Amino acid sequence: MRARLRAVLASTAALLRRIAGMPDYAAYREHWLRHHPDRPIPSERAFYDEYLRARYGDGPTRCC
Amino acid sequence: MEYFEPMRLLPWILVSLAGAAGWGMLALHRGETISAAWLVVAAVGTYLVAYRFYARFLARRVFGLDDRRATPAERLNNGRDFVPTTRWVLFGHHFAAIAGAGPLVGPVLAAQFGYLPGTLWIVFGVVLGGAVQDFIILFGSMRRDGKSLGQMAKEEIGPFTGLLAMIAILAIMIILLAVLALVVVNALRDSPWGVFTIACTIPIALLMGFWMKVWRPGRTVEASLGGVALLLLALVAGRHVAESPTLAPIFTLSGPAIAGWMIAYGFVASVLPVWMLLCPRDYLSTFMKIGTIVLLAVGILLVLPPLKLPPLTPFIDGTGPVFAGKLFPFAFITIACGAISGFHALVASGTTPKMVRREGDARLIGYGGMLMESFVAVMAMCAAAVLDPGVYFAINAPLAALGGSLESAAEVIRGWGFTVTPEQMRALAASMGEESLLARTGGAPSLAVGMAQIFAGAFGQGLTALWYHFAIMFEALFILTTVDTGTRVGRFMLQEIAGHVWAPMGRTSWYPSIVIASALVVGGWGYFLVQGVLDPLGGINSLWPLFGISNQLLAAVALCVGTTLLVKSGKARYAWVTLLPLAWLLTVTLAAGWQKVFADDPRLGFLAHAAATAQRVASGAIDPAVGRRLIFNDRLDAVVALAFMAVTVLVVVASVREWVMVLRGRKPVATAEAPFVETAYAG
Repeated sequence: MRARLRAVLASTAALLRRIAGMPDYAAYREHWLRHHPDRPIPSERAFYDEYLRARYGDGPTRCC
Repeated sequence: MEYFEPMRLLPWILVSLAGAAGWGMLALHRGETISAAWLVVAAVGTYLVAYRFYARFLARRVFGLDDRRATPAERLNNGRDFVPTTRWVLFGHHFAAIAGAGPLVGPVLAAQFGYLPGTLWIVFGVVLGGAVQDFIILFGSMRRDGKSLGQMAKEEIGPFTGLLAMIAILAIMIILLAVLALVVVNALRDSPWGVFTIACTIPIALLMGFWMKVWRPGRTVEASLGGVALLLLALVAGRHVAESPTLAPIFTLSGPAIAGWMIAYGFVASVLPVWMLLCPRDYLSTFMKIGTIVLLAVGILLVLPPLKLPPLTPFIDGTGPVFAGKLFPFAFITIACGAISGFHALVASGTTPKMVRREGDARLIGYGGMLMESFVAVMAMCAAAVLDPGVYFAINAPLAALGGSLESAAEVIRGWGFTVTPEQMRALAASMGEESLLARTGGAPSLAVGMAQIFAGAFGQGLTALWYHFAIMFEALFILTTVDTGTRVGRFMLQEIAGHVWAPMGRTSWYPSIVIASALVVGGWGYFLVQGVLDPLGGINSLWPLFGISNQLLAAVALCVGTTLLVKSGKARYAWVTLLPLAWLLTVTLAAGWQKVFADDPRLGFLAHAAATAQRVASGAIDPAVGRRLIFNDRLDAVVALAFMAVTVLVVVASVREWVMVLRGRKPVATAEAPFVETAYAG
């Protein structure tokens, strides 16, 4: 029961993050394991920094 | 092969009939109030039919969306920006990115013509124009690995057009930021409650920033939930600040003082690292925005308020106090976002195309997302139309037109054919927790009064003042988010353009370059903002049309790019889907721009106003220094409007040249689309 609640909460959080435009670290980990299994996975902190740079680096991201 | 199945068409016949009934009620019930329900039914019925039939035609016949073709999100999946995303989630993201203060403010201002012209333009403009623009730019970018509008203009039309588009985007950004900042200044001046709440968003955002970056990296949702809770706390605390004899004077600021603070804030936000202020504010305003829009929709559906504003007012002849100009062309540029907005082309060629999972999803996200924004504009129109017309004009007409007191305002408004009493305005201001609501131009305060009345009707009468400040806070919050992200984006663009002249300026992380470019961008919009605040007519009068013209002209540029994509991919026979809205936009914006510059009426034409001011200076009616400033600003506004028009005409000419060359066979029918790759997704 608690595990299920936790899973629901985690997926809701991921959904809200996605709507706000932030990619999901768990999905990124999976992606990395599948495509670059030989290289170490970037930390959540590094992932977040890289996202900030890409998101607000250039170009408008929202409208009036 | 599709067979004709009458039973499958039946629901669509019913939806069409419901929509038609809505329009019928709006058209036939002259002279008596009708329920907002009919407005909602007419709009939603039209959206559904347009989405089912027209958007499907665009998706299948015109664009040839192909679910077997792998999208950039699939091919270039890197787990970060290129990520295949479920379509409803991406719809939410795209909608949150395109919706802002624009669709809320424009309809409120256009309500001076009555609710009907604005509503017709919002609904039919979006179906045939705005949603088509967003959809085709999303489609074009998706087929080109997520390229931006500027890059597409450069590749498909030519490098000169690409540069023009970039300069146009920067100039539009400056005007947009100035006018939105002016809306906030007008909503917050002499309002300690509002100023306190908005001031609190800065420490709240900083706290969230440190939470997400330093203490719990990436925990966006928990930080945002905490942020929203603190924000609501600040909203409630604001009332006590406003009632406190010691604290209230500290937070009671004049217009120029608020403008000064906003300029300083914009500069600091552009120079600070994004994680500290900009990113957390972005989250805060995204969640607040979605929450409040849902709340407003629920409120309108629960209350179904009667529309007290007439469908048409006498001001369609151009004598209106809110802004000058006749119904044609000014209704169509006053409501920019909500019907068609060039700015969306930047978002539709930004993050969204990199996340579309299947090509077919683009219809829901591009076309459907814009329908949703249009619905927000319809709700804003409802919120304005639930006000008594007398109250609407008392809030939205500039002080210069109303005279200094409630008594003089009541007299002036009676002259316009509407009634409002000083007691009524006093009671209204008191119930909203404000000193006065007279001449609070800019649209935000009257929208907030309308929203507060709807919310109070739906969720309890006792909290009207709280709902009013909630609405003000929500508008100011996402306008400030636009101000800081916009300043930053403007800074990047300026750095890129300046980098062509002197290479070190192009280094976006070089500190002197950051400071100089930020100061220039802030100085640009700050100049227009301060002039707007000092303008005796309230500033919205001249700045909002300038913003509308620039935004619509950017839409014209986007539609030129869209048409070029169609012509160059051998779909010239379908080019009318973009040419039709393009022709209409060029007609209204060039007509409006021309009138704003050259009209003989000093209320309307910038140059005529400059001449009239010069006469008043000569006759000693106004101080020469003030007169010189006003004349300079009129001329500056005229130059800006002419420059926008010139850039657009150049882009149109370059595009038409390209189309003719392709159609005559002097250039190959070929676009820069990425090659077809079959999707690996099953089904």
